[in-house]
Amino acid sequence: MDPASSPDPAPRRGIRHTVLAIAGVALLVIAALLVGRFAGAAQATPGDSSVEAGFARDMQQHHLQAVEMSFLVRDRTDDESVRLLAYDIANAQSHQAGQMYGWLAEWGLTQASPEPSMTWMTRPTIDGSAHEHDGADHTPGEPMPGLATSEQIAELTAADGVEAERIFLRLMIAHHLGGVEMAEAAIARTEKRVVVDLSTSIVNSQEKEILLMEELLAERG
Amino acid sequence: MPSASENKPTVKQQREARRAEKVAQLKKKQAAEKRKQRIGIGIAAGAAVVAVGLVVTFVVTNATPPVDRDTIDIADAQTFDGITANHVQGVVDYEAEYEMNPPAGGNHNQVWLNCGVYEEPQQNENAVHSLEHGAIWVTYDPEALSDDEIETLRDAVPSTYAIVSPYEGLPSAVAVSGWGAQVQVDSVDDERIEQFIQKYWKSPDVPEPGAACTGAIDGPGKLS
Repeated sequence: MDPASSPDPAPRRGIRHTVLAIAGVALLVIAALLVGRFAGAAQATPGDSSVEAGFARDMQQHHLQAVEMSFLVRDRTDDESVRLLAYDIANAQSHQAGQMYGWLAEWGLTQASPEPSMTWMTRPTIDGSAHEHDGADHTPGEPMPGLATSEQIAELTAADGVEAERIFLRLMIAHHLGGVEMAEAAIARTEKRVVVDLSTSIVNSQEKEILLMEELLAERG
Repeated sequence: MPSASENKPTVKQQREARRAEKVAQLKKKQAAEKRKQRIGIGIAAGAAVVAVGLVVTFVVTNATPPVDRDTIDIADAQTFDGITANHVQGVVDYEAEYEMNPPAGGNHNQVWLNCGVYEEPQQNENAVHSLEHGAIWVTYDPEALSDDEIETLRDAVPSTYAIVSPYEGLPSAVAVSGWGAQVQVDSVDDERIEQFIQKYWKSPDVPEPGAACTGAIDGPGKLS
């Protein structure tokens, strides 16, 4: 407290406080705006590397393989129950793939991804948890869960009758399990209404179909 | 007896006591101000950390801006407007009819070529039908590329809605074609291959976007 070295300390401290206060308020305003933007992310247009875009790109590919396998088995068996199931899967999944193609167009995004497939499944979930069933155990670029290999497609293509039915059912059960996993991973990571709605219907319909396919497979020994 | 002066503080002592009290008050005030200042700095720093954290999270998870397809400029790419898309029997001379080599759209066979990687040349008329459905066709001169380079090319192409095949008489080492568009490059590492895929793969501008690139015929030498 030497008055000589600090003749009038109060005003200077006042200025410093004012500056700090303004800086603090400015930062809080920025933070609040960002929180608002985040909270509004459910309504905002998803970006090129968003979970929503990644899901729309990967799930299209996943779905279109199910369509391909369904047509293959329909051409290879006369069994009405398997043919009807395949008819249902082919129509539902090509319709859903078309929805996802449309989302990307509406969001102004390319169908081609700027990053490896499955990258979106490694992103954090909304509640911060990272359970195995939410896709956290996957790595970008690896094959999507349940996707049939080209060898397995060739095996189905070469078969007919009950043999083709068995191969189809086995492949499609695995395919659906993977599809459900991807849809659940999306639900855990997005609040975008269209994505949550479609993912929820994918989980519900494919889980039911898995049970049906297990029965059909058991009947075929 | 000095007792009176001992019990009763002198003027000087009184002044010193008041002064000590005043100093204590000032010190207390100063401490309070310092505390306030520290709290202020703490809040500001906390807000700054939160703001930076939110910005980083937002940028990483979502904010990659959409790439407008129209703004992807591929050097020396060719486009072909107003090409016909009829189903025809037999061979189409794409060079004579559309000035294309290899083909990048035009009349074609009713049967499309299933997408995939092929080690043998494919029928133009089938492959062009796949382009109409949004596929891209990556053709290469097998004489111009090593096995490693062919492998690099195959890896650079999406696993669906794409055909990779050798092509005889190709004017460049590699040609990447979509419906109505093509780029020819001399190296498998040319960045225009990726640009072309980004712009034209599953393009909404083809005559039949969303139509299948499976379920028709496999050409000869299909690897995957």
